[in-house]
Amino acid sequence: MIKFTLNGKTIETDAPATVRLLDFIREEQLLIGTKEGCGEGECGACSVFVNNLLQNSCLIPIGSIEGADVVTIEGIMESEQFKNLDESYSHAGGVQCGYCIPGMVMASAALLSQNPHPSEAEIREGISGNLCRCTGYNMIVDAINLAAKKGDGLWQKK
Amino acid sequence: MAEKIIAYRFDCLDQTLSQLNKENCAIIAGGTDVMVMYKSRRGVPPKIPKPIVFIDHLSELKKVYQNQKDLHIGACCTYSELLGNPLIPIVLKKAIKTIAAPAIRNRGTLGGNVCNASPAGDTLPLLYVYNAKLLLRSVKGDRIVPISDFIQGVRRIQRESNEILVEIILPSVLDDGAHVIFEKVGNRNADAIAKVGFAGYIRLNGDGIEDVRFAFGAVGPTMIRSVAIEKMLLGRTVPLTDSDIAQVVAAFDKIIKPIDDQRSTALYRKTVALNLLRYFLSMKQYQPT
Repeated sequence: MIKFTLNGKTIETDAPATVRLLDFIREEQLLIGTKEGCGEGECGACSVFVNNLLQNSCLIPIGSIEGADVVTIEGIMESEQFKNLDESYSHAGGVQCGYCIPGMVMASAALLSQNPHPSEAEIREGISGNLCRCTGYNMIVDAINLAAKKGDGLWQKK
Repeated sequence: MAEKIIAYRFDCLDQTLSQLNKENCAIIAGGTDVMVMYKSRRGVPPKIPKPIVFIDHLSELKKVYQNQKDLHIGACCTYSELLGNPLIPIVLKKAIKTIAAPAIRNRGTLGGNVCNASPAGDTLPLLYVYNAKLLLRSVKGDRIVPISDFIQGVRRIQRESNEILVEIILPSVLDDGAHVIFEKVGNRNADAIAKVGFAGYIRLNGDGIEDVRFAFGAVGPTMIRSVAIEKMLLGRTVPLTDSDIAQVVAAFDKIIKPIDDQRSTALYRKTVALNLLRYFLSMKQYQPT
């Protein structure tokens, strides 16, 4: 039996230990905001937080996260920080097909909560593990920049 | 769910070691290599051919401490943890920052980079020039092995099935006044496997070379290092003459034998490797003014 929390809810499962956290989230919990892209940790579409750290859920065997606190894109959607990113991405035109966006938003949130006023280089580094095949990234960088400016105070370290 | 999957996640290292002594298992630390190596199609768990032992949560494997001038790094420290640790040398942090991207650095471990023994392992050139030693532990006790003996070939390591890599030890790395550089050449900054990796180490006494070491990654089955070539430079003075530099480059030209693959060509790799060597040997930063 593996026990952990997912978006604040306690999960107990007897799924095999090698099941990928990504598959568990999508297929058992039906939380389909988290996407599968490459399945090899290179595209970031499956990004989630594990104990507040950005991680690729396609690389996590569920048996390794006993006791961990897992948060998906659904788990942050009610937050002020998410609203800030949502508006900024819309305003900057950072979303086209949208497939990378849940992962991109998770990476953006991870970056801003560690570094509320990132430089452009730091923004690019923060999303360097997330591939987007539509925007060419510039609008996403603009979106994060805007979120940092508009969200002044929101992202301060607690 | 068809076949039963056996996986262990013990609370302490001792229990883990006694299980490993009973049963040959696949060890998973961060899992960022293992999960890709055994990847199945979407929705199907990776097929790992042995029982699994998870070790990344074990606090015994996450310590970083100084012992006199030696630095001991717990094998299961993640790259991000090392980036945040003031004891880790800046040049090693530079190498770590070239690995993958933040999300993988939050999971991947230094011990994993060593035990995966990839020819392109990003931290390996530096660990070789630091003369890193590896502390391996089993129920029978500890042993310490130089990294160059431990890594024997492509994904081949000298680990007994009942052993766990506990620490990577960098001897005399703190406060020894050496100048160390690391360079990686890849297709892009993030998520790139190295075409060439290079680490250079030099320690001067006045303007005389007291110690010098070079290691090349991704240009052979394991890191290329030659103590014989290094010895040629001992006692020479900096700035090195053009003929000194040419002599060292020619010596490495003979032993660096890269291959063509989908990432790069042998010719490109060799040219870049020797250029990096030449660049290091003619660097001004470490030379007395």
